[in-house]
Amino acid sequence: MNERWILFKRNVTDFWRTFRRNKLGLIGAVLVLSAVLVAVFAPAFSPYKPTDVIRDENGRGLTFAPPSVHGPLGTDDAGRDVWTQLVYGARISIMVGFLAGFIAMFIGSLFGITAGYYGGSVDTLLMRITDILLVIPDLPLMLVLVATMRQMDLHISPLIVLVIVIGLLYWTSTARLIRSQVLTIKERQFVARARAIGAGHAHIIRKHILPQIMPLIVANTVLILSTAILVESGLAFLGLGDPTQPSWGTMLNFAFDRSAITNGAWWFYLPPGFAIVWVTLGCVLLGNVLEEMLNPRLTEHHLEGEQHMVSLPDAQSLSGSGSEAVS
Amino acid sequence: MRNKQLFYGILVILALLLAACGGATQAPVEAPAVEEPAAEEPAAEEPAAEEPAAEEPAGEVVLNMGMQGKPDTLNPAYAFLTESYTVFDLIYSPLTTEAPTGEYVGGLAKEWSVSEDGLTWTFTLKDNIKWHNGEALTADQVAWAIDAVIADPDGWAAMSGYVGGFSEVTAPDDKTVQVVTESPIANMEYRLSFLYAVYPPDFEVFTTPEDLQNFTNFEAIGTGPFKINTFDKDTGVLILDANADYFDGAPKLDRVIMQTFDNADAMIQALKVGDIDLINELPASAFTTVQGYEGVSTISYPGRYFNELIINSVDPANDPAPTGNPALADPAVRLAIETAINRQDIVDIVLQGLATVGDTIVPPTLGGGFWHNPNIQRVEFNLEEASRILEEAGYVAGSDGVRTKDDMRLEFRLQFPSDNTVYPRMADMIADWFNQAGMKVNPEAVDPDALVAATTPAGDYDLVLWGWGPDPDPDFILSVMTTDQFVDGGWSDSGYHNPEYDQMYLDQQLLVDDKERQAVIWEMQEMVYSDRPYIVLYYENLLQAYRSDRFTGFVESPLGIEIGLSMINVEPVQ
Repeated sequence: MNERWILFKRNVTDFWRTFRRNKLGLIGAVLVLSAVLVAVFAPAFSPYKPTDVIRDENGRGLTFAPPSVHGPLGTDDAGRDVWTQLVYGARISIMVGFLAGFIAMFIGSLFGITAGYYGGSVDTLLMRITDILLVIPDLPLMLVLVATMRQMDLHISPLIVLVIVIGLLYWTSTARLIRSQVLTIKERQFVARARAIGAGHAHIIRKHILPQIMPLIVANTVLILSTAILVESGLAFLGLGDPTQPSWGTMLNFAFDRSAITNGAWWFYLPPGFAIVWVTLGCVLLGNVLEEMLNPRLTEHHLEGEQHMVSLPDAQSLSGSGSEAVS
Repeated sequence: MRNKQLFYGILVILALLLAACGGATQAPVEAPAVEEPAAEEPAAEEPAAEEPAAEEPAGEVVLNMGMQGKPDTLNPAYAFLTESYTVFDLIYSPLTTEAPTGEYVGGLAKEWSVSEDGLTWTFTLKDNIKWHNGEALTADQVAWAIDAVIADPDGWAAMSGYVGGFSEVTAPDDKTVQVVTESPIANMEYRLSFLYAVYPPDFEVFTTPEDLQNFTNFEAIGTGPFKINTFDKDTGVLILDANADYFDGAPKLDRVIMQTFDNADAMIQALKVGDIDLINELPASAFTTVQGYEGVSTISYPGRYFNELIINSVDPANDPAPTGNPALADPAVRLAIETAINRQDIVDIVLQGLATVGDTIVPPTLGGGFWHNPNIQRVEFNLEEASRILEEAGYVAGSDGVRTKDDMRLEFRLQFPSDNTVYPRMADMIADWFNQAGMKVNPEAVDPDALVAATTPAGDYDLVLWGWGPDPDPDFILSVMTTDQFVDGGWSDSGYHNPEYDQMYLDQQLLVDDKERQAVIWEMQEMVYSDRPYIVLYYENLLQAYRSDRFTGFVESPLGIEIGLSMINVEPVQ
């Protein structure tokens, strides 16, 4: 136990040492962590509740009050504090993004590992399903799915509908990526040896394959998070969110429907837009750097020390393979 | 090279954001506050072009009008959207029509009389009425158009409500139309004002109700002041040419172009820069800003639309059994609910003050105020009073602040249609007040079609926020509260069931004397108000705007700009 702990600590310290050197990764981590902190401790960041109406001294609601009249970010069409909306909106946006991202990650990993490990007809079947989902345009499909699920009278919150739909559609790239990695790992000698001494499939996957692709899964999850948050915002903006649980996308939806543009109320629609950029940019930066550090094919080999086992001639090919993994 | 990667990252995000924005301008936006529970709404509207399609030859006077929806059909048999009726007013003529003063004047009819027994109405047609194709209109054709509705009420679903009690329409000679009814009809002129004279050869060919309803009639032939040039259903652009042969005098405009906008802001910008000259329905949230535009005049009149809180009043013996909270049957709870709603605050905040606080289901604008009961003692907002009422009725606050009595807990679903952003704002405010009075509500946005299914006839709701756009005559909105409308496809969503009310509804239809009818209708409003199947929140103002630097002569009535009359009368500013 103690030995493991020391090993773990050394790993984390090593990781941190490498990570710290990477400025973009640090920026990404700060962006994501700050947003998560704001979401978790939302009440500490605002004296109001999201539904509180800000009133003037005569008790009349202040609608579309600019920042010069009220608070750091003014009020919205219903006289509510925009900063408070933004802070509480982080909860919904990030929660939906994370839940959907994890569902996508789970399905993608399951498909990728199963297809890659078993190969043959299983592989063909699973990958054709993946292909079909890849070629259907996302946005129209999601609009139809969300609208249909809402009409089905399922008595589930619109947010859960969003989580399910995003989660069920955005696992395809993960599945392909992980399958390709599993294909190479399962041919390695340690897997062959394990199989030779009679280890079962479940054991091999759990003990030998999963630890090898775990870094890839982690890096990919962070990247999917950014997609999930963006997609949630897009769908909520189109009016498919839950108007009683405002997210950043829902704020934009209200701003558009309730004439914020005509009223020149930039303080109502710019902040949620920036907030979305803030978190998704953070996730992309963090995800790219994590992938670079954790993907065994993009980093130096442990046997070679400072030298590269495979040639990494120029950074051009590095960034090329990096962005391939993103898409 | 890292920088390059970052650059791509940012590009991707911007592109995705733009993509999201691009998608949003195509979001279906439906006209606010018009509730059509029984109408089969067409599925999500297609993205519409926001550019005028026709170029204007020099010298022609063209008026461009912006709308937020588009006509689903130009077939009066099966048209349910407001936009369709705006077009009908321009291309068709009924026998009678409502003047800006609220009185009924002749449309196709020059004069009319009713027989002693009140059963036979005789209309004399005006001279020189021609169809858009140049043929002369005959009394036979007018009679045929109404007889068709009487004969096939299923097919003519949108118009059949107006011929209830009609037995037959005949044309004794070329200039005379006779309407024979089974019993005296109080609001004959009003009913006839919706029975458009359609061109019989276009409609005679249909044998089944389905065929008739599927007919889009995009090349409608009528007798109205404008005739259809083209209608592009996909882009929602409708071009109407002036009818030089119009029997009441040719319009001064040469052409009217109606354009559909999916986004209110885009429409308002178009008005600001002069791409369009008239907005028929302006959102309240933008009104104050539009008022400040140069060269633009705005109009704000108390309108007919109202929004209400529906309280589940479905008979427990109904099949299927309603699932509403049983505490809602307690009059004390209903009174507390009304006492805990600050209507004025809703009007001030959600509608920027552009509405009137409501009480009865008959808005004060109907018949110039003749039908609205002004004597209703509205319950004033008072949270302490609401708490006191509940306390007195035996509802005691539990540890979580929610009041309970026996096994009845004052926790309600508060549902609203998800296609309108006014409702979630109201729902949040109501939830807040109820909470302070010891009642808990859970606001929930529901797909409008799903909400229709949940209310009528399932009764699967507690509280619902929704709205109505009543007809000029109170008959329709009164029918919404009758017991037999609480059936699949019926208009009742509250499930209000009161035999006394039902009888009075039938009675008022037979009262030809306006004063007597008014007395009954006032009593009916009193009844609905005190039983509270609806808590009417406000009567929405009708908000319109036009380019006063370009056009003059809009005909205003207590119901706003009268589109049909205005388009005849409007002329360019010299």
